[in-house]
Amino acid sequence: MREYKHLLLANKAWAAERLEDNPDYFARQTVGQQPEFLWIGCSDSRVAPDQLTNTEPGGMFIHRNIANLVDPADQNLMSVVQFAVEVLKVGHIIVCGHYACGGIQAALQGGVDGHVHDWLAIAREVVANHRDELDALPEEQRANRLVELNVHDQLVQLARTDVVQKAFAAGQPLELHGWVYDLRDGLLKPLMEIDATTPLETVAKPEKVLV
Amino acid sequence: MSSQPSLIANLRQDLPASIVVALVALPLCLGVALASGAPLFSGLIAGIIGGIVVGSLSKSPLSVSGPAAGLTVIVLDAITKLPSFEAFLLAVFLAGCMQILLSFSRSGVLGEFVPSSVITGMLAAIGLILILKQVPHAIGYDGDPGGDFAFRQGDGLNTFNTILFVLREQVVWGAAIIAAISIAFLFWWDKKRPKDGPLRFVPGPLVVVVGSVAMNALFGAVAPAIQVKPTHLVSVPIADGLGGFVKLFSLPDFGQIGNATVWTVAVTLAIVASLESLLSVKAVDELDPKRRVTDKNHELLAQGGGNIISGLIGGLPVTSVIVRSSANVDANAASKMSTILHGTWLLLSVLLVPTLLNLIPLSALAAVLIQTGYKLTKPELFTKRWKQGMTQFVPFVVTIAAILFTDLLKGIVVGLVVGFVFVIARNFRPAVTFVQDGEGPGASCMVRAKRNLYFIHKVELTKELEKVPDDCTVVIDLSATSYVDLDNIDIINGFIKNAQYRNINVLVRGDIADRTAPQIKAPRKEVAYA
Repeated sequence: MREYKHLLLANKAWAAERLEDNPDYFARQTVGQQPEFLWIGCSDSRVAPDQLTNTEPGGMFIHRNIANLVDPADQNLMSVVQFAVEVLKVGHIIVCGHYACGGIQAALQGGVDGHVHDWLAIAREVVANHRDELDALPEEQRANRLVELNVHDQLVQLARTDVVQKAFAAGQPLELHGWVYDLRDGLLKPLMEIDATTPLETVAKPEKVLV
Repeated sequence: MSSQPSLIANLRQDLPASIVVALVALPLCLGVALASGAPLFSGLIAGIIGGIVVGSLSKSPLSVSGPAAGLTVIVLDAITKLPSFEAFLLAVFLAGCMQILLSFSRSGVLGEFVPSSVITGMLAAIGLILILKQVPHAIGYDGDPGGDFAFRQGDGLNTFNTILFVLREQVVWGAAIIAAISIAFLFWWDKKRPKDGPLRFVPGPLVVVVGSVAMNALFGAVAPAIQVKPTHLVSVPIADGLGGFVKLFSLPDFGQIGNATVWTVAVTLAIVASLESLLSVKAVDELDPKRRVTDKNHELLAQGGGNIISGLIGGLPVTSVIVRSSANVDANAASKMSTILHGTWLLLSVLLVPTLLNLIPLSALAAVLIQTGYKLTKPELFTKRWKQGMTQFVPFVVTIAAILFTDLLKGIVVGLVVGFVFVIARNFRPAVTFVQDGEGPGASCMVRAKRNLYFIHKVELTKELEKVPDDCTVVIDLSATSYVDLDNIDIINGFIKNAQYRNINVLVRGDIADRTAPQIKAPRKEVAYA
């Protein structure tokens, strides 16, 4: 059997199981969605946000790209953020990096070209911003520290976007969370939080958690 | 599901197999009737009905039905208690009707719940008993009727000391020589049988039976001292023409319908015969080289039909029986045509050639059964179960020992009890997770069910809930469950009640099925759609 057929079969089984447990399962979600969370994470296949938080379909709006970057010029990401904040009115946005991120390693060490290289421009800015700290670290610790510093920079970048600033100004309840996911133990480790009252010029660097 | 090919498509396999099974069945039918204290012919009727009627109705390709050793105790007791054999026949008829009711109530699925270690234990035990019980017959002692499976025998001896007794006092040399040659031939033929050519269809047991009759005739001619006497030969009742044959049948006494004992016997027979049939059919499915799966509910229907007809014409109750079925498997039968034909051969041979049948030495048939027994209890069976670990090996061995030292029914009950204890132990998997964030007041924790919470998870759920500290917020996460046993809902609600007094704030994440969450007396938090 060709591999993609496994997906189709597994989906049939999944749908049958949901219906067996609750005949309303699909009917009730045709009315719309009301997720409380927007997740901006990495495309890495090992970091599946709804699975690692035991979240059912309907619980989380999700955007994933290589190295979980926030670029205000990226129409894809910005349209997701706008829809989530203005229409779905999510209460929380999570930016989540992860241990052993390939995109982050490439930003540090190079070795990629074409679209991937172009895309990682923002991540290379993060490297430049934190050059001193990274250089002071033993080589094997740099990539994982960069994962954390990247979450910090992307979260601040997100807070500065027009969509988030407008929501903060309007007093809409909205919190931004910076997390990292540790592949080694499967645990999410919170780094930092930003809300309407946080002065963005002085957001402290997170402590090291990926040790 | 397998398709049902034409019944005559496999005649090249089924025809020789059916003859072997009929030869094996013949002394067993007579032996069971003798042990049941019933007319010998009633055993043959049951064998014929088990073949033709049950065989036609059943969907099992390899199971053979007929009078069963496992019922002898019940039948003997019933015949003694009831006013007449005809009253007993009414009970058999009624038991058949009840089995059909059991079939419609879908009780047959119960057969699927028997642990496979118990099934193979039963097969191995039957194999061992077959060997042990047949050795005396092989050397010429017929004190215990063929087809008996109880440890304590009617002749005051037991399975083991009979063999010693026979070896000391009773060896019939003619019988012993025939048995020794027959066994040697059967094992040799099993190994050396040609893979192709017409010889591959020649069943060893058939050669043995024909050969033994010839050998005994030879003994009569050259050494009359060791010739096997008629007491150690097959003894089919010989009817006096067709009229006399018809007289061998009897009808149930429907006048006894108001007799309470008839009904008690009928209920007992219906239950025990159904259990035996389900076990046997399940076991035969495991012996089937093609591993086909028989419809167990339909089997109860077939067995009920068999008992109705057997009761109506004067036969013993029937069940599916292991020894004949495994002889059928060994003889390379392909479809249920074999069991139908075996019934036909029983009928025709009793009708047409009873005097010929009565030339067959019992020791030759004992040789066939000893080989069948060996195949049921091969050493590989024991090593295979051993490798699967204690949870398979212990019930397997306990079943064997229990059957060996009591009888089939009691032994299976013991095996089932032990088997289920191990099955439950083996199937228990932890289902509840406790996690905590922070310490002291303001801490938060989660008690999560990662799968359905069945009754057996009561202790675990209670234990995990006890870990929740005072003054915290706890989320009880049922989002992965579609079923929570009512006892467990009580435990959760009890915890929530107690939580009020311990300053614990409880929240419930609902279940997939939305069956449990509404019954829990705490605020719910779940995915919303609109």
